[in-house]
Amino acid sequence: HMQYERVGADVTMKCGSMDWDAAVTWTANGTDIDESHLNGSYLILKNVDLTQSGQYSCYEGSSWHLKYQTYLRVGTPPKEPVLMCRSNNYPKGFYCSWHLPTPTYIPNSFNISVIHGTKEMICEKDAVPKNRCHIRYLQLFSTVKYKVTLTVTNALGKNFTTLTFDEVAIVKPDPPESVVAKPVPNNPRRLEVSWQNPSSWPDPESFPLKFFLRYRPLILDQWQHVELSDGTSHTITDAYAGKEYIIQVAAKDNDIGTWSDWSVAVHATPWTEEPKHLTTEAQITETTSASTSSFMAPPTTKICDKGAMVGS
Amino acid sequence: KNLKCVTHNLHKMTCTWDVSSRRRHGQTDICYTTNDFPPLVCFKTKEKKVEIPVPDSSTTMTITTNSISGTAFATKEFEIHKKDVLFVPVTPRILSLTPDFSTSTINLKWSDNGSVFPNGLDAFWQIQILRKETMEKVTEVTYYSKLTHEDVILSWNWTSDMPLECTSHYVKIRCYINVTQFVGLKDWSDWSPIGVIPGKDADPSGSGVFPLDTVVAVGSDVTFCCVHEEDQNITTMSYGSKSYPMIQLSSRSYAIRVLNASASDTSGTNVVCRLNNGMMDGTVLFVGYAPDIPQDISCETPNFLTIKCTWKPGRPSGLYGKRRTKYSLFERKSGKNVSCEVNEMNRERICGFPVLADQKTYDFILGVSNPIGQTESSLLVDLTQRVHPKTPEKLTVSGSNSTSIHLRWFINGSFTEIRLLCQIEISSGHSERKLHNISMPGGKFSSYTAQLNALHPYTKYQFRVRCSAADHFWKWSDWSRVEEHTTSEA
Amino acid sequence: MAGADSPSTALRRRDLCTRGIRLVGKMRSDVIDLLDTYVERQGLDASASVAAVEGVPPAAVERWDEQTGTQRLLENLAAYRAFRALLAQMLEEQREQLGEAGAALGRALAAVLLQVSAFTYHLEELLRLESRSPPSEEGDGPPPRPPLSLFEQKLRGLGVLRELAQWALRSARDLRQLAKPSPGTGSAPGLAESP
Repeated sequence: HMQYERVGADVTMKCGSMDWDAAVTWTANGTDIDESHLNGSYLILKNVDLTQSGQYSCYEGSSWHLKYQTYLRVGTPPKEPVLMCRSNNYPKGFYCSWHLPTPTYIPNSFNISVIHGTKEMICEKDAVPKNRCHIRYLQLFSTVKYKVTLTVTNALGKNFTTLTFDEVAIVKPDPPESVVAKPVPNNPRRLEVSWQNPSSWPDPESFPLKFFLRYRPLILDQWQHVELSDGTSHTITDAYAGKEYIIQVAAKDNDIGTWSDWSVAVHATPWTEEPKHLTTEAQITETTSASTSSFMAPPTTKICDKGAMVGS
Repeated sequence: KNLKCVTHNLHKMTCTWDVSSRRRHGQTDICYTTNDFPPLVCFKTKEKKVEIPVPDSSTTMTITTNSISGTAFATKEFEIHKKDVLFVPVTPRILSLTPDFSTSTINLKWSDNGSVFPNGLDAFWQIQILRKETMEKVTEVTYYSKLTHEDVILSWNWTSDMPLECTSHYVKIRCYINVTQFVGLKDWSDWSPIGVIPGKDADPSGSGVFPLDTVVAVGSDVTFCCVHEEDQNITTMSYGSKSYPMIQLSSRSYAIRVLNASASDTSGTNVVCRLNNGMMDGTVLFVGYAPDIPQDISCETPNFLTIKCTWKPGRPSGLYGKRRTKYSLFERKSGKNVSCEVNEMNRERICGFPVLADQKTYDFILGVSNPIGQTESSLLVDLTQRVHPKTPEKLTVSGSNSTSIHLRWFINGSFTEIRLLCQIEISSGHSERKLHNISMPGGKFSSYTAQLNALHPYTKYQFRVRCSAADHFWKWSDWSRVEEHTTSEA
Repeated sequence: MAGADSPSTALRRRDLCTRGIRLVGKMRSDVIDLLDTYVERQGLDASASVAAVEGVPPAAVERWDEQTGTQRLLENLAAYRAFRALLAQMLEEQREQLGEAGAALGRALAAVLLQVSAFTYHLEELLRLESRSPPSEEGDGPPPRPPLSLFEQKLRGLGVLRELAQWALRSARDLRQLAKPSPGTGSAPGLAESP
């Protein structure tokens, strides 16, 4: 028998059918409970906290017959869940994912409803990750808004949140893939950058992406940016000679939605002149390495400062 | 017992009584005499009421109640004095109840049944307007009239503080006639059967926001209502960008009250009713000003073909498009009326009126109106005193000899009724500009000429000309274009 | 079903599609600007949801990717002809309601109307390229409807512009579909066979 109680609640347990004045013994997870917690045969737990979750048993005084047993789960009702919906494979469909802002310490069940105009759409739960499901677009180019309502329920309460959005507003591609940056021989100020459309983007021909490239020498903090309306490569022509650069790319549908997160950062150093007096073996090695720039905050819609490019 | 006599027309009265015994009884024998008419009048009746003439002073009536078998078992004699008779006018009947939704006005018509009464009696009509499902009294008015011994149809208008569509309006009326010469008791009539103006909330498919696309003056208090269909309900009602507390009128109608409305934008202020299914209904209110009296009205003619009147509109009305302030020029003597095409965005207004044959003076009334109000301004004009010629055109200069030249120019218009005064400006090099005035009879679409002498030979001159009315100067025309000419060598 | 394309037809179609995509892209940005102006001038709430407005062609379409090229062109053409009439009506209503005070909005509306007309002609051109004469326009006009209240007119205007913005999106995608080279033949698919 499972019993759920809120943190801070006062809990009273009766020893099954035993009278109030019957002699009993209460244990918590097998450990006797001090008499001070008893009121007759009733067990009184004041202002319970998480640590008091556990198995509570009541035995008849003389015969040690088990008269009552319960598993107490102390937790909280769910707060308003955080819901996010996004289409990274437009125009195929979109997915919604959710989480609770704070843990409840007890099991929660989630129910999601997706309404488009008057139609209810099916949100197919993904095996992994658990708190996520995806919806296939039945209609494209609709001006009717989508309304997604997520309801979370547990033994101690219920909460919900609702998102209303236009089809175009949630389009956000995945970052570009296979970003490569290479020096250009005999060009000390050039770097050649290339990348590929995110593989999750199903039809780049009819739904072309545009890209946003940012790069800076490691020694500086200020990024330089360039927007590219087509093509998946670009040559940086104003690099500081000999300085190692960090380069990232973001993508956006040509007409709608918002910019993707930045791609994985790549590093490259422009080609440098071979120093004359050194032996011929000194080689200029091509340094291309990929590292996740953990310190980079994922771009919001407003990617950069002056001359900002705001996702339309 | 409890014999009561009521008259509705001062001639006949209906007397009613109760029978105290519980025994079942048959017919009743009635006998009465009025000391005005000695013979006894008797008859039988099954009812406990009887209609007999109203006595001038008193009537004696004997009422005998018989058993089912016809044997009398109770007899009583009553002395009915005129002063005990109660006069209650006939219950008035509403002849017509007509709504005017555009003005939220109800027109009530009823007959005063005056023919029943002598001439000149004062009649008081109490009219009640009720609303909502709870029949809440909205207003009660006492209307006075004088009876004229004829049945006169009386009419009364009432303007509601809310659109009539919002909810059903109920009307009832009763009257009191001050029969001065009747010594008996007097009382109000019964209320008439209720008349109803059904609101949209009484119509199963009725819905909407009211009043629909109306215009009111700045500072007005306006009540809006939203009527929704059965299966919906209202979440909010807003005026402009502000939500207002809702007043329930009925299960399907809610109202908001906007006080002291301020001027609306050009496209009006939206009143939006949001429903729980996410949909919206609404109306638009235009809040503006009545037109100001036109200021600085002035009329002149450039060519004796048309008259051009201008004026300053005063405070903008804030109403545009088909609700804009409209102007018309009415000329009293000829009776001719012209509506003016006016661009409401311009500060100054202008309107053209044709010059009429053989008419020198014009008595203009400039009429101004918009949906909120109207006004006018008048002006008496003697056209010959308001000539503002067009700019002289095609100025040409030809040299006669080294010290004189010949000027020719054209003025568009017909000035045969006046003499023209033209001014020629002569300038050359650094010397001072000279003005030369010349007057000539006005012509009809004609050219004019002038000769200038005493010029310096072999000198480059610039000439330009402007004209006005010679008698009763009003305004110079604009200067013509400058024309250059060099006098020949001596 | 159109036979295999001649290279010149394919080139001509590709050119028309490319120019059409640019035209409809410009129109969409103008419509979005106009929407902002319209919402502000009409005192409407930008987030207001507007029920499907009778007579306004919905851009929403099911199984968009399965449409043939001809279907795309015909549906586009019917829609933009309807928008041409709707925008003209809106322009007339603006003049009647706002007069000179609505001149700026009127000019913006007229500019979009011009682009809709141009794109309509462009679609007819594409259809003619496939030796298909565009359907005639008689009786195409919207059926006479009871006069709308001013607020309904405002909402319908909002609905028209929103739907037009979505149509501009759809048209760009349609044209990109039409411009796609057929697999293997290196030329754009015959209209009927477009995937």
